Amino acid sequence: MVDVVTANNRHRYTALLEQMHRDRKTVFVDRFKWDIPVIDGQFEIDQFDNADAIYLMALDPRRQRHLGSVRLLPSTGSHLLGDIFPHLCEKGVPAAPDVWEITRLLTTPAKDVDPRPTHMQIIMALCEFGLLYGIRQYTCVVHMHLLSALLALGWECEPLGEPQLIAGDMCGALAINITPATLQLFRDRAQSRVPVLQLSDIAEAA
Amino acid sequence: MSRFDDVQKFVQEANRVTEFSELKDLINQTIRAFGFDYFALIHHASVFQSREALMSLHDFPDAWANIFIDRGYFFDDPVLVACEKYATPFVWTDVPQLVSLTARQREVLDAAKEAGLGAGYTIPINIPGQSTAVCTFSTRLGRELPKASFPAAQYVGCFAFEAARRVAQRKDLKKPGLIRDRKPPQLTRRQLDCVVLVGKGKSDRDVAQILGISDQTVHHHMEEAKRRYDVATRMQLIVRVLFDNHIVFADLLN
Repeated sequence: MVDVVTANNRHRYTALLEQMHRDRKTVFVDRFKWDIPVIDGQFEIDQFDNADAIYLMALDPRRQRHLGSVRLLPSTGSHLLGDIFPHLCEKGVPAAPDVWEITRLLTTPAKDVDPRPTHMQIIMALCEFGLLYGIRQYTCVVHMHLLSALLALGWECEPLGEPQLIAGDMCGALAINITPATLQLFRDRAQSRVPVLQLSDIAEAA
Repeated sequence: MSRFDDVQKFVQEANRVTEFSELKDLINQTIRAFGFDYFALIHHASVFQSREALMSLHDFPDAWANIFIDRGYFFDDPVLVACEKYATPFVWTDVPQLVSLTARQREVLDAAKEAGLGAGYTIPINIPGQSTAVCTFSTRLGRELPKASFPAAQYVGCFAFEAARRVAQRKDLKKPGLIRDRKPPQLTRRQLDCVVLVGKGKSDRDVAQILGISDQTVHHHMEEAKRRYDVATRMQLIVRVLFDNHIVFADLLN
C-alpha cells in the first residue's frame, strides 16, 4: 500500500519520514555519491523537503516500515528543475497547476526487502495520484543511462532539452504524460486491478 | 531548426511508426542531419529475432551487413562486448581500453575499416531483466564523428530502440509462428542471494552460514532456481541469470 503524506497529515508519519530520509541518505549520498546536504550525518534533507512537498510512501502491511517513496513538488512553486536545472529545458521550464515534479524516487536499501514489487507500487501510485488530482504531466531529471529502462516500463515521455553533464553524468529533463492507459498498462503488468493508494487517507491529505 | 527541434520531431514521429521501414527512414533522416552516416539497432536476444527485423534496423552498407552476418561477427564484435560491461556511451576508438581484444575481435574491427566504416559512437541500451541492446551511429571512412551531436543522438538512440521494440512486439503478436519476446524467469531475492554466493565459489555450507539458513535450504533454493530456468547445472544457471542481468558481474567479483 502507498500512503499520501502532505503538510496536513505529516505529524502522523514522523517515524516513517525519518526512515525515508535515512534511506535517502544511504541510497543517494552513500551509494550514488550525490553531492547533496546531509543533516546530523544521517538524514538526506534539502530545501525542497518543505510544506509544498507531497510524498507517496510505500509501507509494509503493518505500516511501520518505509519500503520506498517519491517526492512530488508543484511546478508552480520552487522545485529542482525550475530552481537548479532550468538550463536542461530548452523551451522554458514547464510550470502549470497540472504539472508536478518527481524527485528522490527510491526503494529502501534494506537487504530483506525485494525492491521490485515496491518499485511497481510506487509507479502505479504515481499514476493513480496524477489521475485523482488532475495532474496531466510529471517532470523529472533522469540519468541518461536509465532512460531506456524508463521507456521500456511504458511511460509516455517527452524530452525537454538536450542532455547535459551534471556532476560527471549525462542527465536530461523529461516530461511524462499521465493517462488512464498508462495506469492500465502497469496494472496489467502487475496483474492487479486494485488501487495501491490508501484511499481513506486522501480526504485528510487534500 | 535546432538540434533539439529535430529530437522533438523524432520522438513524436517515432511514437507513431508501425513498420520497421518507416522507422528506418526516420532514424536515417534524423542522424544524417546530426552529421552521422549510418546507424544500427542491435539486440542480443529474442526481440529482433526475425531476419526482417535484423536486416531492416540498420543502414550500414550491404557489404558490411553481409560480412557481419555471414562470418558470425555478431558474437565477436568488441563493440557489443563493451556494451555488456559499460552503461554509458563510448566511441569506437575507446574500445581497446574497455575490452582486452582477442585476435578474432581485432579481426572484426579491421574488417569494418575495410568495408568503409570510419568512426562510431555507441549507446548501450540497458533494460533490467533483458539482455543488452545497442544503438550505434557511425560515419564513413575519413569522416569525423559529429561530437556536438552526441547528446541529441543519445535521445534518438533510446527512443528509436523503444519504437523498434514496440513494432517488433506488434508484429510478433500478429505472427504466432515467431519466437515471442522471452520473459526471463523470476527468482526470489533469497534464490538470487544463493546464486551470487555460489557464483563466488562458496560451498553450500558456507552459503548457509552467511545467510543464516540450513544447508538443505540452500540446496533447495538452488534446485528451485534451476527448475525455473529449466537448466541442469549450477554453471548454466549462473550464466543465464547473468545474461538476464538479474545479477551483474560486479556481484560476483567483489
